[in-house]
Amino acid sequence: MKSAVGILSASCQVPKAKCSVEDLFREEGANYSPEIAARLGIKQVHLQKGAVNETASNMAVAAGREALERAKVDPQTVKVVVEYSIMPQEYLVPVWNMSNKVQAEVGAAKSFVVGFSGGGSSNFMVALTSAAAMLSENEELKTALLVTGDTTIPGNRVLNPEDPVTVLGDGASAVVLQRGAPGSVVIDTQLWSNGANHDVCYIPGGSLAHPDNIDLYRMQLDKARYDSSLKPETLRRISDELLTRAGLSLSDVACVLCSNISAQDEAELQKNFENKVSQVCATNRELHGHLQGSDFPLNYLSLVESGKVKQNDYILAVSHGMGATAATTLLRY
Amino acid sequence: MNANVGILEANYYLPATKKSLSQIFEDEEKPAEIFNANVDFEKDIGIDALHLAKNETATDLCVKAAKITMAKSGIDPNEIDLIIDFTSIPEDYVAPTWSAAGQVQKAIGASRAFTTAINTGGCASYQTTLKVACSLMSAHDRYHTALLVAGDKAPDLNHNYFPITVVSDGGSAVLLRKNMDTRRILGVEVATVGRLHDMWVIPGIHNRKAEDIGGRYPRWLHVCGDIQRFNKELIPINLFMFRKVMLGVLKQVGKKMQDVDYFVYPTFSLWDQNAFLKAFGLPREKVSTENMHHGHLQETDMVVGYVDALAGGKIKDGDLIMLVTNGAGFSWGASLVQH
Repeated sequence: MKSAVGILSASCQVPKAKCSVEDLFREEGANYSPEIAARLGIKQVHLQKGAVNETASNMAVAAGREALERAKVDPQTVKVVVEYSIMPQEYLVPVWNMSNKVQAEVGAAKSFVVGFSGGGSSNFMVALTSAAAMLSENEELKTALLVTGDTTIPGNRVLNPEDPVTVLGDGASAVVLQRGAPGSVVIDTQLWSNGANHDVCYIPGGSLAHPDNIDLYRMQLDKARYDSSLKPETLRRISDELLTRAGLSLSDVACVLCSNISAQDEAELQKNFENKVSQVCATNRELHGHLQGSDFPLNYLSLVESGKVKQNDYILAVSHGMGATAATTLLRY
Repeated sequence: MNANVGILEANYYLPATKKSLSQIFEDEEKPAEIFNANVDFEKDIGIDALHLAKNETATDLCVKAAKITMAKSGIDPNEIDLIIDFTSIPEDYVAPTWSAAGQVQKAIGASRAFTTAINTGGCASYQTTLKVACSLMSAHDRYHTALLVAGDKAPDLNHNYFPITVVSDGGSAVLLRKNMDTRRILGVEVATVGRLHDMWVIPGIHNRKAEDIGGRYPRWLHVCGDIQRFNKELIPINLFMFRKVMLGVLKQVGKKMQDVDYFVYPTFSLWDQNAFLKAFGLPREKVSTENMHHGHLQETDMVVGYVDALAGGKIKDGDLIMLVTNGAGFSWGASLVQH
């Protein structure tokens, strides 16, 4: 990249209402057991329960405003709004995308918008690397607002109820990125896809394939293929490729941030990343569940607030998602 | 943005089945609103028939366009580093959870590629995607070749996008490559007016109304336009925004309007093309106005206009080409390609 690009600020929003995972399992007719509880490591999730100010896009607007305030950035200087949501939005994507609404409501009138689909939890890193590339390579673009809001489908918050993989919470996040930012420099990102598994996790109903089948309007997971396709070893391999390119190794990395999918997922990542996954991931997972694209901003904020990261420390963010995709980003704090 | 990223190859795929416009208007819902332009929407649109995909899926259209383009380019699928889906209407499964990019990767065997999709800009998603792809390729040595793909299949009985256009089904693909000395993308400019975000939407099954269930039209999958706002808020700024992005991209690369040899412009309607020609003082032969027989192909219009102009000898070596369009959201985009 021609110029260094870094994170100026981040913000997260969650709905006020909370629900214990035990109650949620009961509500969704799924079996809850001590074994499942231990495997998930999620105690509660925040859920949007009809409050108008807590729709996905309204939470995204609030997160965007807060991130801009924290960065002390005038919204008029934002040149691109980049969106990275995963769940269906208020209207059908790609004809509608919340980034347009966010642009208008945060007052980023001089920006254009870009949204990304299909990467699941990796979408954030796709957005991050794309935004960093745009700011680095285009003189006219200096500041970007990355933003998302995800609200889950009622009755579809326990992913794969027969053999639960995670519990999805609602939330939104935003990140302000700027060329020449003094810290949290985005060094590089490594991305990986296996299109053979494009349909491991998806929502079939309400689409062209099944236009009027509301019963299929649920995120569905092919557990056997999920288990075999998204391996932590893949994340380690692409992370090593990224670190080698940067002239580093895992021993140079201060900590790893992962998605808040489950305790089981994190344990496997701990094993593959030499126990460098930060404690903030487990804490946030227990209290919020899997916030999809917002997991990284949430964990990043917690890490910064914990005071456990020092200037020039290397932070590695790793995620795997639908598509199937895997992504890893190296930051220098 | 300059790693000499250029268009290595581009092509499109249109289903063979065609349906006359008179039959489309006969079969589909009649718009109840009034369009504040001095035209007869059905008679003056300038499009006679539309391509319909029938049993082909939206992804099939993507894949077929990609395969045609790959075959013409002669490159090995393993050379592709990035696949970006820039489809602008709903696909086989619900977005943003799913995109066709992964399925395209599988179908063409581009096993090294990373896949993603850009879901903003409507018909201007072509320009937005060019901006992202060129930036990624410029920023990173490892991204040498990118495949952009789109496949649009309108739901049954929703080809009438009154008061803008009527839409065909089709797919397109563009191969971008670094270090090109011709067909170089000199610059891309995109502008968004986000306050118009809810003027042109598809409700989705989660917003469907009880009275629509089991009826003839699955309205939750059909586009809904707020025609009053369209008349009051979009039409008055449309040409201003076109001018803004056109002058913006020219300024980026130090060129002037008179330096542009040929314009690729969408096939919304004859009156829309005429308004564009008049506003910018352009002669008809300098603009891709001859593709109306395909119908409007959303973001694929940019590819069709470009490919047909090349095939028809409208674009010569050394020419500077501007591709310009607008789309839902609303966004406007312009890009410059140096031949």
